[in-house]
Amino acid sequence: MKKAGIIALITLAFFIIYFLQANFFTWFNIFGIMPNLFVILILFVGLFAGKKIGLILGLIFGILIDLLIGKSIGISGILLGAIGLIAEYCDKNFSKDSKLTIILMVIISTIIYEAGEYAFTIIKDGIQIELLSFVKILLIEILYNSLLIIIIYPLIHKLGYAIENVFKSKTVMTRYF
Amino acid sequence: MYKKKKTGLIGIIITIIVLILLVVLSNMDTQKLSSAENVFSYLVMPIQNGLTYLKNKITGNDSFFSDVDNLKAENEDLKKKNSELEQSLREYEILKAENETLKEYVNLKDKYKEYSTVPAYVINRDISNYSDTIVINVGKNDEIEANMTVISDQGLVGHILSVTDTTAKVQTIIDTASSVSSTISTTRDSIIVSGTLDNNSMLKATYIPTDATLVQGDNVETSGLGGIYPKGIHIGTISQIVNTKNITDRYAMIEPAVDFSKLETVLVITNK
Repeated sequence: MKKAGIIALITLAFFIIYFLQANFFTWFNIFGIMPNLFVILILFVGLFAGKKIGLILGLIFGILIDLLIGKSIGISGILLGAIGLIAEYCDKNFSKDSKLTIILMVIISTIIYEAGEYAFTIIKDGIQIELLSFVKILLIEILYNSLLIIIIYPLIHKLGYAIENVFKSKTVMTRYF
Repeated sequence: MYKKKKTGLIGIIITIIVLILLVVLSNMDTQKLSSAENVFSYLVMPIQNGLTYLKNKITGNDSFFSDVDNLKAENEDLKKKNSELEQSLREYEILKAENETLKEYVNLKDKYKEYSTVPAYVINRDISNYSDTIVINVGKNDEIEANMTVISDQGLVGHILSVTDTTAKVQTIIDTASSVSSTISTTRDSIIVSGTLDNNSMLKATYIPTDATLVQGDNVETSGLGGIYPKGIHIGTISQIVNTKNITDRYAMIEPAVDFSKLETVLVITNK
């Protein structure tokens, strides 16, 4: 029951982020570049609720993004799902208590997501590769995402462990015995 | 424990201030910063000038006399070229005036009256930094179909990608995946106009014929080839011509007639 409630809250967070991205961040930007909060959300879900939930929610949210505004259906779903899986791997190997590791995880996830999207567009539409412009946009996006993480880290930390207690209570116990 | 919490809070506040400063500064009109720029240039430029003078003195001394003859010859050559250019510029001015009067006859705005259109509002914009699609508030219920052309009162906006009952997704011409077959309205040379990642308010014209003469300020319109866009819809004006070593690689930057950042109402052309 608690799990369903948390998933509903995460879905609500997804829609809030969607409207923030489509409205607020279109003018609150750095050199015209918006952050990517979806990557942060799915990484957060994968880290604290586990890879299953991360993968499923990543897939669903990604497909929703594609349906709402994307040019083709599926690629965002696959990439966000992949980030959900990577988050579980990060959880097993790195500490979530350090702000720096969380920032590094967000940087890597942002690179994977945007590079994947861009590579897919290049293959699908056969567009000319503008590597320099792509890297420039990506760097500003990474900077923006990192700044946001520093601001919302205490919230992520608190909420994250509350979610982890619900989803991973058994595994947490076995770690100590 | 208390101290740690406090420093953490200060860190967050500093980050928020940094973020707001970044957003404000990166979006500020550079004209407004000219006074600050002035102060800095007063401080730095005299030193910079002195240093450049010194550098030129040191590096240029040995080759000074041998260069004088070369420079004289070059100067003669450039003077000759300059007079030729002045001549062609005068010819260009005459052509431009002629062009203006012709355009008035055609009256660009009335041009779109031959199409039956459905008006629509932009209700959603892209959430990605790498693509530029918009969503408009008309769909299947208004007899909108995929691949229909979308325009605004200023010019071409894009084409319909997909439709639902009440909305339609539009791929704008500034999207990197968009390419429009176009012609330069004065010379009738064909070019391909596509979006770029580098600049959201510019288009890039490629595949320019080697014998084509491009002039800054020339209008660019759709050619009607490709099957999506009807012929003769205004796209924008050539703002910069970039020549490369290989003439086949040269390209031009086009300023779109439509301001996509302020686009609110569009028209969908329903007859093909």
